[in-house]
Amino acid sequence: MDTFSLLRDALSQRMNIEPERVKPETLLTELGVDSLMLLELIFELEEKLGVTVPQDVETPETCAQLVEIVDRLRTSA
Amino acid sequence: MTPRRVAITGLGVESPLGTGTDAVFARLCAGESGLALHRTQEEPNPLCMVAGLCGYFDAEARLGRPAAMSMDRHAQLGLAAAQSAWADSGLPARGEASDPRHGIAWGTALGGEATYERGYRELFIKGRTRVSPLAVVMGMNNAAPSHIAINLGLGGACLNYTLACASAAVAIGEAFRRVRSGEATVMLTGGSDSPHAYGVVRAWEAMQVMARADEAGAPDACRPFLQTRTGLVLSEGAAALVLEDWDHAVARGARIHAELKGYACNCDASHLVRPDPAGQTRALRLALDDAGIAPDTVDYVNAHGTATREGDPIEIAALRETFGAHAAQLRVSATKSMHGHLMGAAGAIEALITVAALAQGRVPPTRGDGATLDAACEGVRHVFGQAEEMPLRHALSSSFAFGGTNAVLAFGRAD
Repeated sequence: MDTFSLLRDALSQRMNIEPERVKPETLLTELGVDSLMLLELIFELEEKLGVTVPQDVETPETCAQLVEIVDRLRTSA
Repeated sequence: MTPRRVAITGLGVESPLGTGTDAVFARLCAGESGLALHRTQEEPNPLCMVAGLCGYFDAEARLGRPAAMSMDRHAQLGLAAAQSAWADSGLPARGEASDPRHGIAWGTALGGEATYERGYRELFIKGRTRVSPLAVVMGMNNAAPSHIAINLGLGGACLNYTLACASAAVAIGEAFRRVRSGEATVMLTGGSDSPHAYGVVRAWEAMQVMARADEAGAPDACRPFLQTRTGLVLSEGAAALVLEDWDHAVARGARIHAELKGYACNCDASHLVRPDPAGQTRALRLALDDAGIAPDTVDYVNAHGTATREGDPIEIAALRETFGAHAAQLRVSATKSMHGHLMGAAGAIEALITVAALAQGRVPPTRGDGATLDAACEGVRHVFGQAEEMPLRHALSSSFAFGGTNAVLAFGRAD
């Protein structure tokens, strides 16, 4: 499954966010994702994809930015 | 400042006997047990124990998935009970978060132990190097009151007490003092625990104070005051009370369930686990003095009554010493025989039961017929099997903890 779909599923399962609200350009704050929830989402994506996001990575603002960070790691893994 | 009277205007409970104060109290008065045999799946050594569980409690359905997923079970149960108590009080749906006179004092003995244990499994068994980023805020002992404060908009003191089995009784007492002194107008108080994490259960088993029973005997496994008692039953649950300045409650036309009149807390200062009758007697007398009530006006004591070999006779000895000749007329029951030992929340559910007893004029029993009463536990008027109907003037709820902390709450009817 692609990273964006995994993110959409995680947002739906964890926060009851309707999948149609989740678009690449959507701001994470607009979805109610705070700093703690962002860590949880990254943790979940790491678990599912077998990657490790470095702690000093830039903080993503949109769904697309988060996906891009994870995809970079998937590619290099 | 003149001491304020303290009204109890809201009650809420989640317990092995279900939810809702009236429903739970009715089951207790009928002598029903919420205890059952509980088996787990852990390999290679699964647990098999008598336990009191809130099997009906669906946190996601009750609190919503996002909230439920960010809380340990003890906080989920606590928030649900607190929401019920707040609704029962008739206070506005959310407090004024900037009002420092609306606060919370909570009790838990084990807090987020299950959350930490999940983390240990990830680290030590699965070999991972990281745990959930929510582990800290789910596991911290003040998680439940924090969630409650956020949910209900309580912007005053947000306190948490961890004093083993006296945790919630102390929380209620300290909340009481804040309202009585005029420092707070409303305090949401109580406690919650969910103590069935694998390591926690194994630790209690190692102390050899857990009741033993098979499937058929599980509902009767906790037998306070009887010769046949074998120990306590670990239970999960939560109870919450809204304490309110009496005049404030009257002015808004609130229903007052009962009055909290006095509280005492002391320490045996003698032994970690062996209770001291002298320390308990001091706590009982201090609570009566604090409430300004004569011993012979106390009609009922909801005892700590854990059903351990050592604890029960010492508690009855302290009651005999405190009440003298009146002890023979003093109704005593240990409702742990039906809801089990809610650990840090025990003082909360037992305070709630004591309030219901005063409000309804019914003394809930100790489960069973009392036929094998231990001679060392004689000297008070035990109520076994079925509730006893009688108007109650004053009633006490006692909590005596490992570590030697004793806490006694003294209640009166609402009139």
